[in-house]
Amino acid sequence: MRKRLPRQPLPYLMLAPSVIVLFSLIIYPMGFALVNSFYFWNLQTSPYPVQFIGLSNYQMVFQITPFMDSLRNTLILSIGGTFIEFWFGMGIALLLNSQLRGMTIARTILIMPTTVAPIVVGFLFRYMFYEGSGLFSWLLTGLGFAVPERGLLGSSHTALASIAVADIWEWTPFFAIVLYAGLLSVPEEIVDAARVDGASRVQMFWRIILPLIKPTAVIIIMIRFMQLFNMFDLVFVLTRGGPGTASRTLSYNLYYEGLVNYNIGLAAAMTWLIVVIVTIIINVYILIAFKDWEW
Amino acid sequence: MARTKGISRREFLRLTSMAGGALTFARFPQVSAPTAKRTLKKQAKTINVLVVGDPFQFALDKVLDQFTEKTGIGVNLENLSYDALQARLITSFVSQTPDADVVTVDQMWVSQYADNGWIIPLDDYAKADSDTQIDDFIPQVLHSLNTWRGHLWTLPIGAYGQGVIFRTDLLEAAGLPTPPKTPAEAGDWTWARYMEYINTLNGMTVGDKRMYGTVVCGAQPIPIVHMYTQLAASYGTRWFASFPEVNENGVWNFTPTINSEANKAALADYKKLYDASPPEAINYVWFDAGTRFSQADIGMFYWWTPYFYLVKNSGYMTGTPSEIIDKYDVGVLPTLEAGGQQVVSLGGWSLGIPRYSDNQDEAWQFVKWATGFEGQKAMALVPDYNYQFSDFGRLSLYQDPELQAIYPYLPAQLEIMRQGNGKIPRPPIPIYTSLEGVYGLQLNRVLSGEASPEEALATTEVLFNNILAGNQYVPNYLLESYDDTLENTIALMESLKA
Repeated sequence: MRKRLPRQPLPYLMLAPSVIVLFSLIIYPMGFALVNSFYFWNLQTSPYPVQFIGLSNYQMVFQITPFMDSLRNTLILSIGGTFIEFWFGMGIALLLNSQLRGMTIARTILIMPTTVAPIVVGFLFRYMFYEGSGLFSWLLTGLGFAVPERGLLGSSHTALASIAVADIWEWTPFFAIVLYAGLLSVPEEIVDAARVDGASRVQMFWRIILPLIKPTAVIIIMIRFMQLFNMFDLVFVLTRGGPGTASRTLSYNLYYEGLVNYNIGLAAAMTWLIVVIVTIIINVYILIAFKDWEW
Repeated sequence: MARTKGISRREFLRLTSMAGGALTFARFPQVSAPTAKRTLKKQAKTINVLVVGDPFQFALDKVLDQFTEKTGIGVNLENLSYDALQARLITSFVSQTPDADVVTVDQMWVSQYADNGWIIPLDDYAKADSDTQIDDFIPQVLHSLNTWRGHLWTLPIGAYGQGVIFRTDLLEAAGLPTPPKTPAEAGDWTWARYMEYINTLNGMTVGDKRMYGTVVCGAQPIPIVHMYTQLAASYGTRWFASFPEVNENGVWNFTPTINSEANKAALADYKKLYDASPPEAINYVWFDAGTRFSQADIGMFYWWTPYFYLVKNSGYMTGTPSEIIDKYDVGVLPTLEAGGQQVVSLGGWSLGIPRYSDNQDEAWQFVKWATGFEGQKAMALVPDYNYQFSDFGRLSLYQDPELQAIYPYLPAQLEIMRQGNGKIPRPPIPIYTSLEGVYGLQLNRVLSGEASPEEALATTEVLFNNILAGNQYVPNYLLESYDDTLENTIALMESLKA
């Protein structure tokens, strides 16, 4: 027993930094939020938690905030956005991989939108969506589409889609670059063998290329879905969740309760509801996408 | 051979020590200069002032040297957006850190900050210094912006009312008399008459430009609440059963009364005003509405008094004269019925002193100067952006001939301020922001056609009840109440005279 003692602390010491970081950055804030979600604590009325109120904050999330509208918008935005960005990104990645002329410069230019801060993208698109002289309004009118009288950001039919357009512009290149890297890892001999066997381009894509880059694709889809699920910057700059609740997302809802109304207890309850929802969605996704996965 | 061409260890050490020495000496003057500055700063204190990016901030920034020259107190002025300022203040208050010595306080934050003990009352300071000239302040302004539970917490640096701004050339072309400049002249200047003006002006053409009758603020939640609540207050809307005054039992009663007939009528009329506005006004925040008027396609609108001067520019604080710089005038708001009672929404920004400031005496000197006659007049005389500051809370400034020459609408503005009571259109209770959030959202839904006024106000009342119950305001308000009337504010001012 005595002989063993000096050896025992070493693994713990080695693990300690990770545990400390994990605890201070993840577990403690989540635990803090969980505890306070059961307390009445509104900074507008008191600097400290006032009293234990059980599940009232969770009940209030549904009673006084447009939580369900925000959830619907968030799901539309994250599922639709991820889907479009993935397929646009895939198309661009295939083009980049086609060894056409000018692809080197295209790759360089392509990454630029991703490097722009979302808040800047928001302001940029705000001007492009402008009712009078905005680029998008002009383009849509030119193509024969009717632009809403209140502007693209002012109509409840187009506000959420307009936010999605800005996000797609910014993040499609990210998909393209990552998927392009995936395409580069596809062994040339397998593609050649398929070609010799008489596989068409479509067959090669669906039967060979897509399965081979699936590991990259499922991870990138999961990351982007989670990012889109937390969409805040573009909503804040472009519409502030309006008109009405037409473009309000869960993150904006959370921001509003936490940093505008300063209702800490309520915001904590909402945080946990969002955590639970994301966890369920991601686990279902993992179950489906990672089936037969060799870890 | 190779060794003699290469660098020896001794040579390396010699060179690096020389380089290090050179760097040390090169840095020395740079290091010593700030030290000297710091010594100076220690002798003459410097205070940190956090302000919001509003028109007054531009003027204040230009005259700070005058304050330093007079008092020897330096000022670090930091300008933040509305959201950022509130977040920064709350963070510093909760963490009890002396982030700033003077802070700008929205009238809606006073009750929160006071009840939480985050700012100090100014009663003793005001009473001790005769040059505060407390009786020079317009009582309605102090009542609306600066008092809570019978104490003075802040002093106004930018006091706003709401009035009508109209195009003189368009009214003349339409054969409409100009709106009155005083309540005494008001006659039949009612909201019904106002709507007739808007309908007449709407659709007029000047050259090839189509005119809109008016412009409203439609963005949710704060901008639309700011504009709409003025109309609603004029129609007799009250948010609660008894606030700011107490009921017959001497307590505040926060039972919501927002779903009233008066409010339904007001909201239906606000929708009509929106229908005579540019459609994109549904997304307009404060300055969007003002800027739109500057673009010369709006007949008439009502808005905060800073727009009396802001519309002189083609854009918000651009300094480029607008097309309508010589073609507009201002007047008082209409009433619901001819000769009826008016409640003008008063709002604006004030200066307060955080509890955690280490320089409260110096902070008070700054508050007193910046809200005093001297500081306010200096701000008003800054010629930048075509003179952009006339948001006075002091009577003497409205009566100053030099200022009247620059801002000719000051007599009309004073009449507006005297009709004001900011605690009725937007009750400044600590949880106001939460109520404003749901109210603004429902108002916006009416403009977008998602809900009728009846549906929106019924929903608002339910949400108000939930919020008020969740924050323990109903069924019974558990904290102490205070009969927050203008008369009590006048009594407080009397007691604070040095």
